[in-house]
Amino acid sequence: MSQATALPVRDVGAHGHPHEAAHHEHHPVYDYDSGPPVDRAKFAIWLFLATEVMFFTGLIGTNLVLRIGSSTWPNPENRLAIGITAANTFLLITSSWTMVRALHAIQKGDQAGLLRWLGGTILGGATFVSVQVYEYIELIHHGSLPNVDIFWSTFYTMTGFHGLHVIVGVIWLIAIWIAAARGKFSAQNFLRIELAGLYWHFVDLVWVLLFTIVYLM
Amino acid sequence: MSNDSATDHGAHPGFSANKIFITLFVLTMVEVGWGLGFQHSPHWIKWGGLIVFAFWKGILIYTYFMHMKFEGWIVKSLMIPTPFLIAIVVFALMPDVSHNDRLVYPVGSQVDKSNAHPGKVVGMIDHPKPAAPGNEAPKH
Repeated sequence: MSQATALPVRDVGAHGHPHEAAHHEHHPVYDYDSGPPVDRAKFAIWLFLATEVMFFTGLIGTNLVLRIGSSTWPNPENRLAIGITAANTFLLITSSWTMVRALHAIQKGDQAGLLRWLGGTILGGATFVSVQVYEYIELIHHGSLPNVDIFWSTFYTMTGFHGLHVIVGVIWLIAIWIAAARGKFSAQNFLRIELAGLYWHFVDLVWVLLFTIVYLM
Repeated sequence: MSNDSATDHGAHPGFSANKIFITLFVLTMVEVGWGLGFQHSPHWIKWGGLIVFAFWKGILIYTYFMHMKFEGWIVKSLMIPTPFLIAIVVFALMPDVSHNDRLVYPVGSQVDKSNAHPGKVVGMIDHPKPAAPGNEAPKH
């Protein structure tokens, strides 16, 4: 709007952080702000995660409806490898912890620490997916296909969609790692790492619930 | 291991990722032990404990790893509707739970796909033979 161009321009970010000026060096920043009092990217990622909560709620709710509505339901221990999946769960939780350490490292300006902890997170996520793929191969080899019965249908749907989220997260983190290796982040500029971390922790949180519902209940 | 209780910009004093991580590890171990140890116990015991442990872990991740405890009101208010929406989804599914007391084919059924007895249950994957009508396994 033409009115906006008449407003005074300042050299700091929309929320008063000097480091934001670097992000907006080609764009004027005005003294008025109709947006929420939080970084827009963080607002967006939380909004996205809220929709993801509903997505997985639908899957878990469907599983519970089918399960409670069924006269019989197999004991997961007889069909699934709980031990190896428990170890895999611990691995994903560990990767969430390394993600926190990566963020704390860059907040202290520790570039090497960021690369190290971020690399550990990527390794953890990639290993988690690899173990899940191995589990799928073993199950399919033994004839446990998604169309055999409703147990396997819901199992592959829930764990499969979660696995896709993990793959997306690993790809995202690899992109962040490459950017970090090029020195794109600093103690004043780490928002992208924080956003990727939020997504990664959410993936971890969902798995904590899925592991309980699919493998233990 | 260095103290990760952050004090710099964007971090939060009093929050130790190491302690949360260890707590999550212990809870996972206890949860698996609970699930396997109470395998043949009444469902309210087994499921009740598992749900408590799962939500305990989830809340720790949500509160500390995702920094929700340290976020401002706008982010917190953004997530307020989700529990209500979840409740709506669950209550919307309730009629299906209460009315769908039997699936057409019990889980594990092997259905005859030949022309001889189309649709007939000829075996069970987890059981030696199909449950006779009216003699199904106790409902979970």
